[in-house]
Amino acid sequence: MDHFARLGLPAALDLDAAALDRAYFSLQRQWHPDRFVSKPPEDRARASAEAASVNEAYRTLKDPLSRAFYMAGLAGVDLPGDGKTIDDPDLLMEAMEAREALHDAATPEAVDRLAAQAREDVQEALAGLGSLFLANDRAALRKALLRLRYLDKFAEEARARRMNLDRSNA
Amino acid sequence: MAYSEKLIDHYENPRNIGSFDKTAEDVGTGLVGAPACGDVMKLQIKVGPDGLIEDAKFKTFGCGSAIASSSLVTEWVKGKTIDEAETIKNTDIARHLALPPVKIHCSVLAEDAIKAAIADYRAKATKKAE
Repeated sequence: MDHFARLGLPAALDLDAAALDRAYFSLQRQWHPDRFVSKPPEDRARASAEAASVNEAYRTLKDPLSRAFYMAGLAGVDLPGDGKTIDDPDLLMEAMEAREALHDAATPEAVDRLAAQAREDVQEALAGLGSLFLANDRAALRKALLRLRYLDKFAEEARARRMNLDRSNA
Repeated sequence: MAYSEKLIDHYENPRNIGSFDKTAEDVGTGLVGAPACGDVMKLQIKVGPDGLIEDAKFKTFGCGSAIASSSLVTEWVKGKTIDEAETIKNTDIARHLALPPVKIHCSVLAEDAIKAAIADYRAKATKKAE
């Protein structure tokens, strides 16, 4: 059973966040260990396994980026795992230039501007995934998701850079 | 986790940071990335008329092990022919820096970067010869 089916939700990129929360909390109650204390060991084991799968499904689907990567896996998109390298020049050039700009950003305002731009790029890229999933265009999905991974990493680095600047100005 | 002195030295005093003009005929550029950790590495070689690598530069955005691996490779390739430089293995890098197992992929990135730089230089040289 995939994570969507586990939570009784449609396998959609633009999942309704409130519906996701409702499904999660309801199943969490259903399989809560407190309800199985007086039950036989096999029932307790089943409940604990169900609760763990529900938690994992929720964790995976809650964040839009993580959801997109999970859906790509279901669609058979081949993404490089740990320790695998890529040499896509457009993608890496963009990532390299963005990181250089962040490295050169000397004020909190400059970092914020770059971070805001990156957030916009992430939203735009996420919005563009829908039609790629519909068309089942695996090559384009792979490229878009790798770009999203670099944009996400950039956002993380921008937050770290911002904290450093705040600390040194304090 | 304890890091080796060599690794820390390359991380704290990286050699050969910078860039060459990537359009120059005697420059080969390798640009590689590890998407799982968001690292991006650029490694460039400048080849002299005698066929020896006379200079090398790198720019890496990533963890300390990735920076140290690329710094080490730029040191190693200087004075070598491109054929010799091509034989550098990630295992040599990992052993020299005593990289912990979880950081082995950083040395893979550095090996791929030098290979890509050499391939780029060769492609330019072939084009020029035509």
